[in-house]
Amino acid sequence: MKRKTVQRLLSLGLSMVLAVAMLAGCGNTAQTAAPAAADDAAAPAAAADAGEADAGDTEVASGDIVDFTFFAGMPGTEINSGNNEIQDIIAQKTGVRLKETWLTGQTVAEAIGSIIASGTYPDLIDGGDGCVDLYNEGVLVAWDDYLASGKYPNLTNYYTPEEWDQFRMDDGKIYWCNVFQNTKGEPTGTAHNDEAFWVQARVLEWDNYPEIKTLDQYFDLLERYAAANPKTQDANGNEMDVIPYTCLCDDWRYFCIENAPQFLDGYPNDGSVIVDFDNKAPTIVDYNTTPTAKKYFQKLNDEYAKGIVDKDFGTQKYDDYIQKLSNGNVLGMCDQYWDFQQVNDALRTSGLEDLGCNFVPLGLTIEEGMENRWHTYGDTLNVASGIAVTTSCSDPDLAFSFLNAMLDQEIHNLRFWGVEGVDYLVDDDGLFYRTDEIRKNISDPKYRADHLCFYSYLPQYGGTSDDGINANMPEEQPSEFFNGLAAPMQKCFTAYGAKTYPDLIGSVKEDVNATHPWFPMWSYSNNLDTSTEGGVAWTKMGETKHEWLPKVVMSSNFESEWEKYMKAYEECKPEDFLAEMQEELDRRVAAKSGN
Amino acid sequence: MSGKETSKKTMAVSKKEIKKQKVLIIWSAIFVIYGFVFYYLPLGGWVMAFQNYKNKTGFLHSKWIGLTKFKFLFSDATFLRVIRNTFCMGTLNLIFTTVVAIAFAVLLNEIKHNWIKKPIQTVSYLPHFLSWIIVTGILNDALSSYGIVNELLVKFGLTDSSVPFFSIPALFWPIVTFAHLWKETGWNTIIYLSAITAIDPTLYEAGSIDGAGRWQKIKHITLPGLRPTIIVLLIMNLGNLLNAGFEVQYLLGNGLVKSVSDTIDIYVLTWGISQNDYSLGTAAGIFKSVVSIAIILIANSIAKRHGEDRLF
Amino acid sequence: MEKIVYKKSHKMPKAGDVIFHICNGLFMLLFCVVTLYPVLNTLAISFNDGVDAMRGGVHLIPRIFTTQNYTTVLALKNITQGAIISVLRTVLGTAFALAANALLAFIISQKKFVFRSQLSLFWVITMYVNGGMVPIMILYKNLHLTNSFWVYVIPGMVSGFNVLVMRTYMDGLPESLQEAAQIDGAGYMTIFLKVITPLCKPIYATVALFVAVFQWNSWFDTMLYNRMADQYTTLQYELMKMLSAVTALKGNTGAATTGQTVNITPVSIRAAATILTMAPIVMLYPFLQRYFVTGMTIGGVKE
Repeated sequence: MKRKTVQRLLSLGLSMVLAVAMLAGCGNTAQTAAPAAADDAAAPAAAADAGEADAGDTEVASGDIVDFTFFAGMPGTEINSGNNEIQDIIAQKTGVRLKETWLTGQTVAEAIGSIIASGTYPDLIDGGDGCVDLYNEGVLVAWDDYLASGKYPNLTNYYTPEEWDQFRMDDGKIYWCNVFQNTKGEPTGTAHNDEAFWVQARVLEWDNYPEIKTLDQYFDLLERYAAANPKTQDANGNEMDVIPYTCLCDDWRYFCIENAPQFLDGYPNDGSVIVDFDNKAPTIVDYNTTPTAKKYFQKLNDEYAKGIVDKDFGTQKYDDYIQKLSNGNVLGMCDQYWDFQQVNDALRTSGLEDLGCNFVPLGLTIEEGMENRWHTYGDTLNVASGIAVTTSCSDPDLAFSFLNAMLDQEIHNLRFWGVEGVDYLVDDDGLFYRTDEIRKNISDPKYRADHLCFYSYLPQYGGTSDDGINANMPEEQPSEFFNGLAAPMQKCFTAYGAKTYPDLIGSVKEDVNATHPWFPMWSYSNNLDTSTEGGVAWTKMGETKHEWLPKVVMSSNFESEWEKYMKAYEECKPEDFLAEMQEELDRRVAAKSGN
Repeated sequence: MSGKETSKKTMAVSKKEIKKQKVLIIWSAIFVIYGFVFYYLPLGGWVMAFQNYKNKTGFLHSKWIGLTKFKFLFSDATFLRVIRNTFCMGTLNLIFTTVVAIAFAVLLNEIKHNWIKKPIQTVSYLPHFLSWIIVTGILNDALSSYGIVNELLVKFGLTDSSVPFFSIPALFWPIVTFAHLWKETGWNTIIYLSAITAIDPTLYEAGSIDGAGRWQKIKHITLPGLRPTIIVLLIMNLGNLLNAGFEVQYLLGNGLVKSVSDTIDIYVLTWGISQNDYSLGTAAGIFKSVVSIAIILIANSIAKRHGEDRLF
Repeated sequence: MEKIVYKKSHKMPKAGDVIFHICNGLFMLLFCVVTLYPVLNTLAISFNDGVDAMRGGVHLIPRIFTTQNYTTVLALKNITQGAIISVLRTVLGTAFALAANALLAFIISQKKFVFRSQLSLFWVITMYVNGGMVPIMILYKNLHLTNSFWVYVIPGMVSGFNVLVMRTYMDGLPESLQEAAQIDGAGYMTIFLKVITPLCKPIYATVALFVAVFQWNSWFDTMLYNRMADQYTTLQYELMKMLSAVTALKGNTGAATTGQTVNITPVSIRAAATILTMAPIVMLYPFLQRYFVTGMTIGGVKE
């Protein structure tokens, strides 16, 4: 009788397998159904893939292609690994196919922590804030010998020796390299990849492109627009309510609500503190307790009470937030460009960009007539995290040669521009350009997954390419940048006489590395851990802010709630943190003046 | 422990008995080895709590630090808060799921028509089969500003505008309790229903003859009949009081309600895994295990003293 | 399977009874609505256009019908693999657990067994202590259970609770059967397989369902132990990833043709994935349901 039950279970199970397999078979024919069953993910499973062979001279026989794994301590978009055209082309040229795994459903600390605890590492890793933990664990390969060997010139020359020195850990060795904000040739300066208060282009158009300089003007505009246009269209052409302002507080992304006060006071993004050096030695100032901070949260509180601020802002997940922005009914928010960049693709695919739903950055300050530094000119070197090779990697030489190859102009172009003739065209002067059709393709998620392969957390350059004509990134190609904008955006840029995003923000033009030699302070605070008092305070401050700031905004009695928040905040002993930051600031200032 | 006397008795007859029981002993040994490896061996990891454990140095070479981690725990306001949260949510869940399941079983038992009863039972079991991921997802949608609950609240004029359920700390515990009720009431009923069917039907007949009404029969026959089941389950679940707090809170919690949503298990995850302080995470885990064992021993002995059924 | 049939009284129903039955009926109705509505609502949303669903107001019937949410979910890269592994772990995990728990319960139920109480206590303790996440991870790593399918099957094979439930049931069986077999010279294993097992069908079904549900719904173990091993991913873990990052997965769909992905929203994807994950186990349980009421009892000890 038991056998009967078991039989029934088994046959049910089997029929389920069949049903699922059939369903999936219909959905997707070219499935990589049987991945290498190797127990060790690091084992170079030579998956002979029958990808179309690209005729190149440095080609690797497809049987010799090694699969490496990579974990990024960041959420990202998975490509169709193993079935991606450009990934295959790069694999043919370098002998390596990199399978990227992105952070999902956990914080980066949890993910890196459980990777460490489980003891199974990918071949390459960008541990984000967890890089130091990986180093402490002794599982990262030191770069020094590889850089000195001369076999990987692109990597060796990626930074100057002085810059490389800044990556050295307390044992004097280099374990990772940051891949962002590294300009080759001339900076083109079209992009603003950083924070701003953003507003939909159509809102500005509706008010005849006014000058919006302060927080009050910003919210006044949103209020007036929302009063006049309470409804808007979604991608299906149905009516829906506008959300005049939303604010993300999800997990580590709560920076969207908490760090605006530093910018509103005219300081650049030191991240965790303000550095005040007006007529005095550089001093750390806490932006959480400034009068500006209070004014800013008071404003958000007022606007929340008026129904201008999204009701769900305190609990919305990142996903929901991105969806709202993609729906086109959010008029404005404060965020980093890279955090919501993908929305532009969605707006393009849905056609909402033609209604002016794209976001324009504004460089707001708390009072009129102040300088702003939302945009900083000059590269920011973040030595706190970057790409690393782990000791689990079976062939570190190959890994470094792969990283080295990433910086070859040919491969760099493949990664960011795509295949010539398909993803971009070249005019008579050698200038790369795209047609509207190509742009439409590029913004389609399906096309991106099957065709494009950015390897976005591997070494890369900004600025201009070796040919001296083109930008390394399409979005930084001035002609391509402007032509790539939707018509309402172009109109907006023209109305303000702007050619680039930074033009719209109007930040002070100065090389931040010259004027603020300690910049950015967050590269220190990001790596604080609970082993020091300042680190404990920093962790607690973060938790307190994360919990209280939304409460303060939603409170019906701002003053008393603010008081309670300040009390909870003081209990975290922010002075310990600030003292530690001051120490680091002094160290940096001394180091620079010593040079 | 009653086992002692019985085992003494069997010992007396043992020699021949043991030979006969060889196969049982071999299998027991296999199970003991298995249990030792998977349940008892990890307990060795508890020494971590008294070390400054690092993966690199392992158990043998990590520095011994005595009770430092425990001292840190009990001076950490966050830890005291997560104990409160775990304990309160565990208690709320235990009380409500037990009471509601019993009530539901009794009421369901009053329905005499199988064609009504069966479909209700089938429906009531359904949520049990959904994972917490799904349940919390559904709950999130239902309680969101455009969800059905707010729609009804506004429609019936109970509130002017939608209630941001997940932003209000005071509502978090009730929401978690409700989630447990929704998911498990039907399922928990099964055990009580089968206990009710085991009650001697002649008792009910005798009750009817004596002129007992419905409530009296429930009060004097059904509930006393359920008593042993209730007590054993209660003891068992009391031991799990501090275990009942991870997935739901992990999935439903957010920054705004952190102070009431974080539980011991989440604390262990945050410190043990995210902050790489294995020693502290383990210390918190030890605290939980010790308290669980204490609760269950106390409950069991109270039951024993009152001559009730008990777990062991 | 209802064994007890209550004698129906043929007297006239009292007014109080009528009121009671009406109230009870209404309560049951409310209960069913509260239980079913969210599930049916999810079903409706799963067949509704994503962008449209965000406007709210979709209740039991889709407003703009589409199957696109399903094609999107089914075409996600790891879904097939996850489904295969989920089925495998459910089938194998249940089979192994059932065999192990039944045998252990049988041993503990043997009243004459010399180590009975010790063995019983040994397993009761396991219900309440554990070494914690990190030591367990280290153990699994040393046993080579990480990056392996067997981590789903072996560690959770025996559970104190299931053994307890099964033992209670076995204790309730008439001893005479076993004694008769013993007189016929049957050994313990024969008794277990030939005498006890056939009688335990209901409780086996119940425990099998317990384990199957647990196996099917688990995701945390996948995240902890098999994160980097795509070949051992499970449906629930993929679902979990989907819930936390629909936007990131959007591009990864093989089925959606150019331009269609726009109308897929986190809400609609979530709904479709929910229905898909829930469907198999919901289809399975009516088969086993009839055993529940007779099967599940739990008893303690009493002097």
